[in-house]
Amino acid sequence: MDPSGLSIAFSLLTDPVVLGLIVAGTVAGVVIGALPGLSSSMGVALLLPFSLYLDPVPAIALLSALYCAGTFGGSITAVLINAPGAPPAVATAFDGYPMALKGEAGRALGIAAVSSVSGGIISVLTLLLAAPLLARIAYSFGPPEYFALGIFALSMLASIGAESALKNLVGGCLGLLIATVGIDLTTGVERFTFGVPQLLEGVQFIPVLIGLFAVTELLNQARHLGRERVIAAMTALRLPSREDFRRVRATILRSSGIGVFVGVLPAEGSTMAAMIGYNEAKRWSKAPEKFGKGSIEGVAGPEAANNAATGGAMVPTLALGIPGSATAAVILGGLQVQGLRPGPYLFEEQPTLLYGIFLAMLLANILFLFIGLFGARVFSRISLVPRTFLWPTVFALCLVGAYGLNQSMVDVWIMILSGLVGYVLKRNGFGPAPIIMGIVLGGLIETSLAQSMIIFDQQWSGFLGQPIAATLLLLAAVSVGGARLRRALGKLLTRAAGTARRQ
Amino acid sequence: MKQPLHLLADRDSLAGLAILGVCAVAWRLTAGFDEVPAILSQNVPPTFFPRLVIATAALLGGLLLAGGIRRRAVDLAGRGPANDPPIAGAKAGGTTLPPPVFWATAGLVAAAGVLIPLVGTLLTVGLVAIALPLLWGERRFRLVAALAVGLPGAIYAVFTLALGVRFPVGLIWNLL
Repeated sequence: MDPSGLSIAFSLLTDPVVLGLIVAGTVAGVVIGALPGLSSSMGVALLLPFSLYLDPVPAIALLSALYCAGTFGGSITAVLINAPGAPPAVATAFDGYPMALKGEAGRALGIAAVSSVSGGIISVLTLLLAAPLLARIAYSFGPPEYFALGIFALSMLASIGAESALKNLVGGCLGLLIATVGIDLTTGVERFTFGVPQLLEGVQFIPVLIGLFAVTELLNQARHLGRERVIAAMTALRLPSREDFRRVRATILRSSGIGVFVGVLPAEGSTMAAMIGYNEAKRWSKAPEKFGKGSIEGVAGPEAANNAATGGAMVPTLALGIPGSATAAVILGGLQVQGLRPGPYLFEEQPTLLYGIFLAMLLANILFLFIGLFGARVFSRISLVPRTFLWPTVFALCLVGAYGLNQSMVDVWIMILSGLVGYVLKRNGFGPAPIIMGIVLGGLIETSLAQSMIIFDQQWSGFLGQPIAATLLLLAAVSVGGARLRRALGKLLTRAAGTARRQ
Repeated sequence: MKQPLHLLADRDSLAGLAILGVCAVAWRLTAGFDEVPAILSQNVPPTFFPRLVIATAALLGGLLLAGGIRRRAVDLAGRGPANDPPIAGAKAGGTTLPPPVFWATAGLVAAAGVLIPLVGTLLTVGLVAIALPLLWGERRFRLVAALAVGLPGAIYAVFTLALGVRFPVGLIWNLL
């Protein structure tokens, strides 16, 4: 840890403008997270083009604060209207909403707030310690290691949802293919540009991002206009009692550990962390039969895990340039657009920026405890803002955000096309996150592969001679084939057991 | 001829076929890339990585297609999908068509791209702020009017006045 970088970052964050931006990012995050249909990924994507008008430290601090707070915001609507504002809060609704129906909405939200803050703070401290260590290891990485790391990150897409592994991998490939558009840096040859001069520098990341997240969701909302929402009555929100805290503290610690670990894994985000956090809370609980009926451990488990995953996801994002989640991929894109090169050298070149991010995330976590505790009643009302006014506003921001980046209509068309195609893909089970991961990692994977092939004289077997690269590629293979292998092995064992019984 | 059609009546099979089709087109496009001498490309031609990705996507698309056909065959044989978990998760069978409002919204999204060069960004935003709420059934006309004026006004204040972003005013305004 660099104490001077930390102290400079601390002094930067005491600047009233930066402080105001972090508060604004936190409030915006809670609001966006609380609005069903809007997620922190979409919020960061919408805010990204506007953040480019700021200096790197306040810009990334703003996005990071929104990321942390957005993950918590989803729990408000999950508890009060059984409509998780964002996917990571899905598991929170399992027990949060039954608690609300029993008149314990305030207690459920109090548990959610305290668990989220605990998970978030633990993860930021982990980020503070682990990211520089990981970066130090990554100093020895060459092109083969970076290629293998990129492939490993993409292979993790297979485990985001076991049932849609193939589709996630196809989405990753689509992202990689989009990343090849433009002039090939090695040879100067145009690829997939169709004679459009604006595509020579490649497809801009931000319009695709806005289209895939926001326009796709706008169309999704248009399809489900008839759905009504009923808000549960909320008594005053309150902090957990000593007895409540005693019951959930082990769950919070365990889920925070799970969240950090899952978050650090490339591509795995808060949603998976929350689901595992919920399952483990149930498995370790003394009263698992109460889960699904309003158990406070069922609220604490996923909330601690999903917020812990935010800091965890930033570890590989900052230390290696490999996004730990979809939202981290957007922030990584933001760093790149700001002209920064995420990876080990960032720790040498921009220590202030990094510590600024750490401190902004820490501050956001503390802030949303108060915002969550005192503003939940207001935010629950915000979640009932009519869609007929919310979505035209979102679409206007999409148009302005896509255009404002380069002041180019091509970007607007890319955004619209991405939204329309993204909707068709989503309807058929292809989510936006793998595509984004593919786009973000495309440049790194192609460049490092080309360099590796030159080093190895076109011999793929050269990767086997590099222990780190070979291990990462092996892990990637296990990640892709693991689920199927387990299933096949399970069938084999069942069959063998059946045969043994018959004999 | 009927049986193969039944076998393909699965969303994963159709998705797999679509992926293979896209891959075929993309591969064909790579054939049109300019050729460069090996010495310049250092034996890593510009088609190398795109084709590697396309081939991988085609392989995955093929697996998706095969999984869909296999699941459909199991269904047709009467065993039901419960006995054999789906490979890629999607359920067999079709889905209901989206309601007309969905198509109108999609049309409006596309129309916004056409309108901006004609009438300018701010007027397009204003028109979207009127059309989308009305399309989605909003009938509080005063609120719609307030949004139609307030939204472009706020965007102008924040982006043009504060951040200096100049939005296109549109062909029609230029002609006027």
